Order: sequence, then structure tokens, then C-alpha cells
Amino acid sequence: MTLAQTGAPAPMAPSTLGHYLLVSALLLVIGLIGFVTRRNLIIMFLCTELMFQAAGLAAVAFGRYHLNLTGQTLVIFILTVAAAEAAMALALVVLLFRRKESLNAEEWQDLKG
Amino acid sequence: MLNLIQDTIVHTQPESLGAAVEKAGHAHGQTDWSVAAIVALPLLACVLTGLCAALRVKSKLPAWITVASLAGAFALTLKTFAAHFMGAESHPFVVHVFDWVTFSWAADAHAQGPQTNELAANFAFYLDSLSALWMLFVTGLATLIALYASEYMSHDQGAGYCRFFAAFSLFVFSMACLVMADNLLLLYLGWEGVGLCSYLLIGYFYKKPSAVAAAKKAFIINRIGDLFLAMGVMLIFVQFGTVEYSVLFEKARPYIELARAGQFSQIPFLVKLIPCLLMGGAFGKSAQLPLYVWLPDAMEGPTPVSALIHAATMVTAGVFLIARTYPLFLLSEIALPVVAWVGALTALLSATIGMAQFDIKRIMAYSTVSQLGYMFCGLAVLSPSGGVFHVVTHAFFKALLFLCCGAVMHGFAGQLDLRKLSGVMKVPGWRIVGFGMLIGCLNLAGFPLTAGYFSKDMILAEAFVTPGTAVIGWILLITAGLTAYYTFRVFFRVFVGPVAYELGDEHHGADHGHDDGHGHGDAHGHAQAKGHADAHGHGGTHHEPHAPGWAINTVLATLAVLSLAATGLYFVGGDHGAVAGLVDQSSAGFHSPLAHHGAAEGAPAHEAGHAVVSYVPEFVHARAHGGEVHAGTIFGADPHKAMYFISAGVGAVGIFVAFWLHLAGRKSAATSRADALLPALGPIPGWAQGKWYVDEFYDFLVRKPLWVLSHIFYLIDSYLVDGLVDFIGAAPRAAGKVIRPSQSGELHGYALGMAGGLVILIVIVALVAT
Amino acid sequence: MGELIHPFIVYGFCVLGGAALCLALPRGGRSPQVLGALAGALIAGLALLALAVKFAPVLPNVYFYIFSLIGVGAALRVITHPRPVYAALYFILTVISTGGLFVLLSAEFMAFALIIVYAGAILITYLFVIMLATQAPQEDQTEVLASYDTRAREPVAASVVGFLLLAVLTTLFFRGVDRLPMPPSRVDDQALLADMPRKVENSLRSAGLLREGEAIREIDTGAGVVRVAAGGAVRDIPRSDWPEGMGVSNVEALGFNLLREHPGSIEIAGVILLMAMLGAVVLSRKQVEMDEEAKRRQAQKLGQTTGGISDVTGPIGGES
Repeated sequence: MTLAQTGAPAPMAPSTLGHYLLVSALLLVIGLIGFVTRRNLIIMFLCTELMFQAAGLAAVAFGRYHLNLTGQTLVIFILTVAAAEAAMALALVVLLFRRKESLNAEEWQDLKG
Repeated sequence: MLNLIQDTIVHTQPESLGAAVEKAGHAHGQTDWSVAAIVALPLLACVLTGLCAALRVKSKLPAWITVASLAGAFALTLKTFAAHFMGAESHPFVVHVFDWVTFSWAADAHAQGPQTNELAANFAFYLDSLSALWMLFVTGLATLIALYASEYMSHDQGAGYCRFFAAFSLFVFSMACLVMADNLLLLYLGWEGVGLCSYLLIGYFYKKPSAVAAAKKAFIINRIGDLFLAMGVMLIFVQFGTVEYSVLFEKARPYIELARAGQFSQIPFLVKLIPCLLMGGAFGKSAQLPLYVWLPDAMEGPTPVSALIHAATMVTAGVFLIARTYPLFLLSEIALPVVAWVGALTALLSATIGMAQFDIKRIMAYSTVSQLGYMFCGLAVLSPSGGVFHVVTHAFFKALLFLCCGAVMHGFAGQLDLRKLSGVMKVPGWRIVGFGMLIGCLNLAGFPLTAGYFSKDMILAEAFVTPGTAVIGWILLITAGLTAYYTFRVFFRVFVGPVAYELGDEHHGADHGHDDGHGHGDAHGHAQAKGHADAHGHGGTHHEPHAPGWAINTVLATLAVLSLAATGLYFVGGDHGAVAGLVDQSSAGFHSPLAHHGAAEGAPAHEAGHAVVSYVPEFVHARAHGGEVHAGTIFGADPHKAMYFISAGVGAVGIFVAFWLHLAGRKSAATSRADALLPALGPIPGWAQGKWYVDEFYDFLVRKPLWVLSHIFYLIDSYLVDGLVDFIGAAPRAAGKVIRPSQSGELHGYALGMAGGLVILIVIVALVAT
Repeated sequence: MGELIHPFIVYGFCVLGGAALCLALPRGGRSPQVLGALAGALIAGLALLALAVKFAPVLPNVYFYIFSLIGVGAALRVITHPRPVYAALYFILTVISTGGLFVLLSAEFMAFALIIVYAGAILITYLFVIMLATQAPQEDQTEVLASYDTRAREPVAASVVGFLLLAVLTTLFFRGVDRLPMPPSRVDDQALLADMPRKVENSLRSAGLLREGEAIREIDTGAGVVRVAAGGAVRDIPRSDWPEGMGVSNVEALGFNLLREHPGSIEIAGVILLMAMLGAVVLSRKQVEMDEEAKRRQAQKLGQTTGGISDVTGPIGGES
């Protein structure tokens, strides 16, 4: 049982894929619930990152199952987008906090976004 | 009339007979500008007085403009009349002023009925003896009454004065259009024009609610009649394809032939409907049952208006309409009997109401309604000449009576209650008014040898002569007695007897009296004294009645003389006087359309025993032969001869009763011997005083249901229609209310919604996939 | 093979998990957070146990369970912890455990990239912002949590929807994995060696299979031989002789995959990053409030320093 492998990995059982997908779904749902229930803008963004994690995990698991690298490539792009989103979102959060001295998302509901 | 018109055309333009019937006024008739000026002058006066209003003229200039214009119109009418209609043979002619309405369209090959593809109604005037006669007294009386009004309305100098005379002139213009029209469309224009002027003048004191209400009432009730007239004109166009009299009667000739032969069943129903519709218009304008209720209320207008429009001229437009379209009225077996019965019942009903009223102007109004009933009866019992003669005499004496009442009202600060006036004739300066009133009353009561006596006799006698109308004759005879009574009730109560009066209390609005107390003979005094009078106010006990000035007196005297002189009309001219001769030569005459043809083609109607209606065909035919047909008798005697004595007797009885009850032994203004009689009559006098509650009945019959209906519609409108509209607005709003929280701006909500949507999507995908 | 777990068991776990999460979410004041967290952990454990019991022969690596439990538990703490800083730290824990799962999935490069980029860069940025955007406590009082942090919003509705989604997703997964195409039994992971002659040469040389003066002539991965030109003769090195380190690593494979198959996406990702950078700069720029008067004065001052307004109003096109 080694962590690092070289060479082509062995094929993976579908039920193993199911296990990974279950974890991925759990992370997604937790992220979603967190996004819905928390009022703090920063935590809401953290929750979206959680969901990114879930998506990345599912992508890599599928890639592993199919024995190709597309899933991992997808994670690279997820990472890129997450970084960009984090930069933009955090800039926005800072801006909003300056306006109202609060991170409460409900303070901004009159934007009717 | 057909022949007459054709003859006319031949006479005036002999060289082009061919097109004469089709284009009566159009192709021929060099415009006689003197005739056109009869119509144009009042219009000019209207424009000028309107200008006066715009220029804020405060003097009596508008009155003088009007009087001068109307006098000019009268002079031109007189000239025309003398030139064309004075002789034994009248020469009707058409004066074409300009093309007014000309439509043409492609003829429909499959259309039923007369093929027509043109509607032509020109601004053209048709002058025959009838219209000339009518114009004569319209312009003449208008001139006199305008003169009277120049003084009467002087308290209102300024904008109101201009408005009054503008409407007055416009009225004369409209009336001239109505009377001289060469087609029914122009007649309709005049018809509506006089209705409008009537409305404007009744509502002259527009700050007075009762005047406004009366004006609206008159206008609305007239609308009902006008609707019938409009439908009648339309039906005439549909049936005959023309609205020009000349062509119309030519086209109607086959039906007239049928009617003369008594074959009414062969006349189409729609043709028979025409006179019934026209009749409705006439009843509205001439205040007959059931549309008479507006006329008594119309007395809210200034008295000169009452005298001219609501007594002498406009209300006789209905009579004129029937006389003008008389041949059409012979086409239906029920038209003339209906007219007769309506006229007789109106005469009787309004006479009974008049007996119980206390407002002298209202009494005169009811007497007008009553006398109009006489006129309709006259037309309907085949005595158009009698009817028209009565129109003429009535115009003079009723105008006189109204103007006398107006003078009293003017002088006594609006006092019109005969219980508060007595012995007016003995008050200094009121002699002319008193004598004028006496002459008017004698005429109205049918006192022997007055003009009213002869004209009424003609109608009464004809009612008995014409078979089947004796009942109408009796009704009219009773009405004559009642008329004599209520007429002289006014005279005996107000003008003679002990001198006692109480001034009215009109401060503002209607005919308020002047209290300036000086310069009454001087027309200029009024203008200067006006502000003074206003400053003092009215109705104080220190006020004295002020006698009428020169203008009023002159007019009253002239009218009194004319009323008496009208008697002469009965003795000059033909068999039944000059008017009868004139009428016989017009569309209403028997000697024109029917007579010629009847004589020419034999007399099958003698054996036309199957005529549905009792009297029209045979009698008309017989009459057409020029004979006095004594189909009916009264007490076994010739009605024409007997009626002289009978009606004189009836009139005398009425006058005597009035004398006994209202003059003999009367000590004060308020009470009379008649009061003692009232309890014996039970509730009847109260009912009569309440005008038989006709207004209330109409209120119940028309207004209340309309009120209920309108409220139902209101409810429908406010709940159903509005509800629907509101629902259309509310439904999206409600939907929005449901959906709006989702657009709260809360990110959480959106995210939750997205998650929910995702669940649903996945479920759908799963279901589809499996 | 059938479903992984019977759907009703999944649903039952979902309901219980939802309830537990409901309890675990902060509600301000006294809330059964600890109880909820314990219940949630218990249920997650039970769920994994259920999976393990059913699939004992084909169980995944035990590390899977360890990382999963750590990751999910940390994720739960991320959303239940009232303090943003702790939430961010727990998120780092989640990221790390996800990285572990990635390693289990033979995605070593992505595992470390994830940890470096997420935990090292993004989360630190988050922490900076959290520090920036938190109200400093007053002098005389201890730190007070913002009210919006201490009370979850609509926890019941969110849990219901969330675990409904979970139930649906798991149902779908567990049904769907059976129908997945079977993975290829053998992937020729050496195919990429043809594109990497230097690596092949180096590894062969270091293994002593390629001698001085010899050069690789052709790498035939299909036939599994490396043809070596030795002087005039050609010599084949069969696959069985290839050294251990000559295999294609994950990073190499990923690099080839990325640059060969997704060059456009890389460009787009670059643009996205650039735009994000610009956006962040623009957004976080401090807005200076100035009334009209101040603006005018500022403009004048700028005008003076740059040569005055006369330059603007002066003759146009002057060389001076």
C-alpha cells in the first residue's frame, strides 16, 4: 500500500468510485447548506470553495476510474477559477465592508441582486 | 303640391321643364337674394351681437341690431309675400343658395326599393304660401318681441344682454331655415337649431337651478321627439330616395293614389310608418301628449322668450311639419286619427291643469299647450286651413298675453301669483297692459268676432263635419269652455277688481324688477340706474310697481291691434278667409295634390267602403271635389253655422263663470268665491293643481326605472367591469406577491432556490434516464 | 452488483444527517451545537460503516476513510463554527484531506497543487480579509462575535433542501456507477515516452543501458522497444530491460495532457486570472470622497503642477 505510484494505476472498482462520489456529494451539500445558512459574506465564499473541492474530488475520482487525466486537468482550471473568484470576491467583500462596516449579506439585500 | 311645384318650376323657369322634378332648386332658381337675406339677416344679427359680447358692449346696441335685422327680414318677407302670394294664385318657388349636402355612390343593382344613388340636400329655400305665411308672423312677431325685450332685458345689460339677443337672432335664423327649407334635412337643421336656442334661452338665467333644470328638461324631451323626426326623415330617404319636398311628393304620388282609392292595405308598412314617426317629432316640438311636460317648465326663461319661442313660433313647428308633409299623413289610416286624439286629449288635459294653477305665466303656458292641441286637431280633422289659421291668430294673441304677463312680472318684481295681484289695470300706467290683456283674453276665450273665435270655430266645425270625429269635437268644445274660464280667471283676478298687490321678491336671477323708480319712459335711464338698483337691493316694502316703458307699451299696443286685425283675415280672401286660401295652395291644401288627380281620374273612392279608417279616403276625396260635405251635424244643424253660436255660447258661459267666481264680490287679491267651491270638488282641484301628477308619473315611469337601471349598471360597472379590469391588474400583483419574496435580494434565498431547482432537475433527469 | 446501499438506508442517513446538521448549526445563545456535531459524526461514521460492511471485499484504501472523515468533519466545522478565522482554518483541514484523497486517486501533482494554491494562497488571502473586515473589540470588552456569525439563517429549510439534494445525488450515483463503462483494463502509460527522448536517454544512460557513443534512434512504445544506434549497428532495448524510473510520472502525463489537449483553455484561464487581478485592484481601490469645491481645487492644483490651465486654453499645436 503505497501513496505514491508510478506507472499506470490499477483499474478501480465502480463501488470505490461510489465511495468517492459520496464524499464529494457530502462536501457539496455541506458547502451548500453553509452558503445558505451563514450570513457572513466571507464564510459564504468559503462555502463556495467547499463546493469547488467537492467538484474537484468528483472530477479526479472519475478521471481515476477512466484512467485518464482529464479530471485532473479540470481541477487545474477549477483552481484557476477559484483563485480568480477569491480575488474578486474578497475585493468586493472589502469594498462592501467599507461601506457598511458589516459582513452581513442581509445588509445588502436591497441591491435586489 | 306636386303639380304646384312643377307648375312653379314651369312658371319660374319655363325653358327647362325636363330636369325640373329631379333638380328642383338646383338647376334653376336664380338665387333671389332678397329671400336669402330673410335668413341671412338674423344670422348677421347673431354674429354682430356676438361681437358686441366680445367687445363688452354695455349699451342697448345688441337690441337695436337685432330689432333692425329682424325688421329688415320682416320687410323682405312682406315684399316676397306681396310679390308672390297675394293674388288668388300663388307662385311657389325655390331659391337655391348653395349646395349643402351632396353625396352620391354607386347604385346597388340588387337593392330593393327605389333606386337611388344620391343624397342631395341643398341650402335652398322653398317658398310657397304656407312658408311665406309662417315667415310673415315669425319675423313680424320676432321684431316686435325683440323691441319689447330691449326694455324688458335692460336690467341685464352687458354680456347677458348680448347673449340673449344673439340666441334670439339665432332662433329666428333657425326658424327661418325650418320653415323655408326646401328639403327635410334643412328643416331638420332648423328644427335642431330652434331646439338649441330654446335650450339656451330657457337656461338664460343659468345661475338659477330651476332654469337650468327646465332647460335640460326641454332639451331632453325635445330629443325624444327629434329622434322620431330624424328616423322619419331617414325612412323617407330610404323609401323615396330623396329629402327634397318636390321630388318626395312626386315619388309619393303612387301611394297617394292608393290612399285616395282607400287601398291602404297595398301601401307598404314602412311608408305608413313615416307619418307616425314625423308625428312623434311634431309632438315633441309642439308639446303634445305625452311630451308636453317641458313647455310649462320652459317659462323659466325670460318672458319675451316665452312669448316668441314657447308660445308663438317654435312650438308651432310641429304644426308646420304636419302641414308641410300633409300628403304623407294621408298615407296611413291611423296617422291623422292619432294626431286628432292626441291633440284633443292634450287640449283637455292642459286646460284642466291651467284652471287650477296660480302662476299666471304657467296658466298661459298650459293654455299654449291646449291651443296647440287645437291646432293638431285642426290638421287631423282635415281642416288644415283651420289649424293654420289658429296658428296665426294664436301667435298674435298668445304673444300679446305673454308679453302682458311679462310686463306684470317686470313691473311687480317677479310677482306672478294671481292671488297676490289684483286690479292691476287701475294702477297708474298699466292701462295699456290691461287692455292688451283683455284683448288677448277675449281672443283666447273665443269671444265672438275675435280672431281666436273664428279660428277655433273652423276647427270645431270641421271636427263635427268630418265623419267619425264628433267625439273630438265635443272634447274640443268642452275645452273651449274651460279655456274661456281659466283665461278670464286670470284677467278678473289680476287686472280688475280691488287694487291690491304684493311685490315679488326676486333679487337676482330671473326677471327681477327694477326699483330705480325713475326714467321709465326713458330707455337710457335703465342703464344708468342699474348699479343703483343693485346697490339698493330688491324686494323691500318701499318698492312700488313700475309701469312699463314706451317699448313695451308700443309692442303691446301693436300686438293688440294686430290680434284684433287678425279677425279680418277671416273675411278677406276666399271661402274661409285669406289664411285658408293660402293653405289650400300649399302642401296642406286639398285643392292641390289630391284634388287635381282625383278630379282627373274619376272617383273610385266613393264605393271604397273597405277603407280601414273611417274618414280619410272618402272624405278627402269628397272634399277634393270642392264641395262642402256635411257628413256630420251638430244638433241636426250644419256645424259651420251652428258652431258660431254654440262656441260663442260656450265661451260666454266660461267667461261668466269666471266672472262670478273670481270677480263678483271679490274684496281682496287672495280670496274669491271660487275658494268656497273647492271643498265640494274634493281632491280634484288639488290634482289639477298638481298637474295631474304627470311629471311625477313620468318620474316614476322613466326616471325611477332609469335610476334603478343606471344604479344596476353602476354596480355592474363598478364590480363586474371594474372588477375584471382590477382583476387583470390584481392577478399579476398577487402572483408577484407570491413570487416577490424570492426576489428579496437575499443571496441565501437565491441559493436555496437554486439548490431546490437542482434537486428537481436531477429528479427529472433520473426519471427520464430510467 | 446492485446498488451500493439500499436507497432507503441512504434516505434514512440523509434525514438523520440533516437533523444533526440542523442541530449543529450555530443559533446564537445556547444551542445544541455539540450534540448536533456528535450526532453528525456518528451518522457519518455509521454511513461509512454501512458502506464498509457491504463492500468488504472491494473496500477502498483505509486512508480513504481517514481522509473522508477528516474532510467531511472539517467541512462541517467550517459551516458551523461561528468564528470566521476558525472556519477558514477548518477549511484548510478540508483542503488537506481532499489532497490526501487526490493522492489516493493517483493525482499526486494535483494533491500538492491543491494544498499549495488553496491552503497556501487562497485561504491565506481569506484570512487576511477576515482580519481586515472584522470589527476590532472595544478596549474594555473581550472579543464579541458579530451577531450575523452566531446565528444561522433558516437552518431547517437549508438542511432539508441540502439533504434532499444529497439523497437525490447519492441515489443517482449509486445507481449510475453500475452502468458506467468498465474502465480500460490496461492503459499504455508508456506511450508518452516517445515524446520524451531526453528523459529516456537520461534514464537509460544512468541505468547503464546506453553506452558512450550510442544514441537513441527510435522509441517505439507500440512495440515496447528503444532502438539504439551503436556505431553502424542498431540495437534494441526491450521493455523488460527498462529501468524502474523510466516510467511516465503523473506530472509529466498531466503536463502533456494539459498542453496538448487544452491549449485554448489555458489561454482563457490566463485571461480570467488577469481580469480577476484587474478587478481586484479596481474594486479595492480606496474611493476618496470629495465635494465639487474640493474637486475644483484639486484640479487647479494639478493644473499648476503640470503647467497650468493656460496650457489647455492656450494656442493649440504650439511646439513649446
